[in-house]
Amino acid sequence: MFIYALILYLIIGTAIAFLATKRISTDEEYFIAGRRVGGIISALTYAATTYSAFMMIGLVGLTYLSGVGALGFELFYLVGTLMLLSYYAPKIWKMSKEKGLVTPGDLFTVRYGPRVAKVLAVVVALALIPYTSLQFVGISLLLSREIDFASGIIFSAIITALWAFLGGMRSVAWTDAISGVFMMFMAIFPTFYAFQMLPDRDFSKLGELLYVPNSFWRYDVFIAYTLPWFFFALTNPQVVQRIFIPKDIKSLKRMVILFGFYGLFYTVFVTFIGLQLRLLTEYGVFPRISDRDLVMLKFLELLPPWLSVLVALSIFAAAITTADSIVLTLSSMFTRDLLNNRSVLAGRILVVLTTVAIAVFAIQRPAYIVDLAVMSSTILLCQLPLILGIFHWNFGKEFSAIVTLITGFSIAIFLYYTKLTLGIPIPVWVLIFSFAVFFLSAEIEKRFIVHT
Amino acid sequence: MRLFEALVVIIAMCVPFVAMKSSDLTAYIYWTLVSAAYLIFIALRRW
Repeated sequence: MFIYALILYLIIGTAIAFLATKRISTDEEYFIAGRRVGGIISALTYAATTYSAFMMIGLVGLTYLSGVGALGFELFYLVGTLMLLSYYAPKIWKMSKEKGLVTPGDLFTVRYGPRVAKVLAVVVALALIPYTSLQFVGISLLLSREIDFASGIIFSAIITALWAFLGGMRSVAWTDAISGVFMMFMAIFPTFYAFQMLPDRDFSKLGELLYVPNSFWRYDVFIAYTLPWFFFALTNPQVVQRIFIPKDIKSLKRMVILFGFYGLFYTVFVTFIGLQLRLLTEYGVFPRISDRDLVMLKFLELLPPWLSVLVALSIFAAAITTADSIVLTLSSMFTRDLLNNRSVLAGRILVVLTTVAIAVFAIQRPAYIVDLAVMSSTILLCQLPLILGIFHWNFGKEFSAIVTLITGFSIAIFLYYTKLTLGIPIPVWVLIFSFAVFFLSAEIEKRFIVHT
Repeated sequence: MRLFEALVVIIAMCVPFVAMKSSDLTAYIYWTLVSAAYLIFIALRRW
């Protein structure tokens, strides 16, 4: 039954992508839908891009394993996003309209010069390829009963590339909107299903999972998880690019607020599923699962077949909508920032090449889903001083920007693999180094480097 | 003003770490309510 549902979903998605294809004539149309998207579609594409397979697979499992701290971690992200978007999004949107910005790298070009946008494109690619590969891995786990792992990755890659290739941002936004609504409903139904499975609602059986800190959510662990996500709205290019697409300032505000409500409800439902499944385990109704990425997949086996199929499809939709948004953003940065090319054809070719690179990474199935997602966001933190510099500081130009990006990126990778952190979370180190290097190199630049 | 707003919200979100050790859903409900309150504040505030 899942295969039939999947085929139906793919037919609908591809039809939407074809419909959107008809109206593309410039790369601005292709990459940011000509800045003509309404508030509701903008909000839904923002939500579907942000909330990936991580939510229904990773976050359910994380809540099951660690308790309410997982909700705190995710809601810290949400309030951080609301805080940053309510202040910076109108400024970014206005700048993008006045200066014709299309890629997140264009923001950097305006202030720091085109070479910085090139370095940024490389850093972003190295950070987002692992993150996007998680979506393909999630899909493959989901399809594991139907096809083998490698075939699942290839299948995911073909769908991702096809939808982004055909219609660009417009088709991605439209499929995101439909998928976003579907994802919300498919978080609500399992929540109530798990609730009625509970023999009793005595949550005190969960013990230390009901508070923080506990044996999982120590202070340093909470900071390590939360910090990169707190700044996600400014540091992840696929969501920054979505600030460019609303047709007017009213639509932009509507996008932010509707996304906020979506995020709040979706997060509460998803984490409550995890919490209830853990309580069901304590009651002996649900098996005890040590691999947290398998918790939701096990729960799917207990749902009625029709609901199981729909929830699995919503996870598939979440993964694809995140993946094609990232692929489109990366290809826009490669095409415009790295190659100085403005043609739609070049954009489409790079959509395919980017997807292939992600699929190759995914087939190797690296590490744990949540850890890898957090690492990507940690790497992207090195942009933060540059982004704040655009709006708040006059110092720092091309030299400082490039040195900051390369140093911040290198520190993140070095600490992740060597673990030489002295007990301080890696994101804290990355922020400290990035800001220190930016300020220091800006001073050097001011004194010794003459810009023409 | 925005810095003060950010400080208040972050402190409010950190409260469960220091003041909520009950064996029920208090921390869960508290975090949800604080986030909802901030969202409503953002929605009503003039941009």
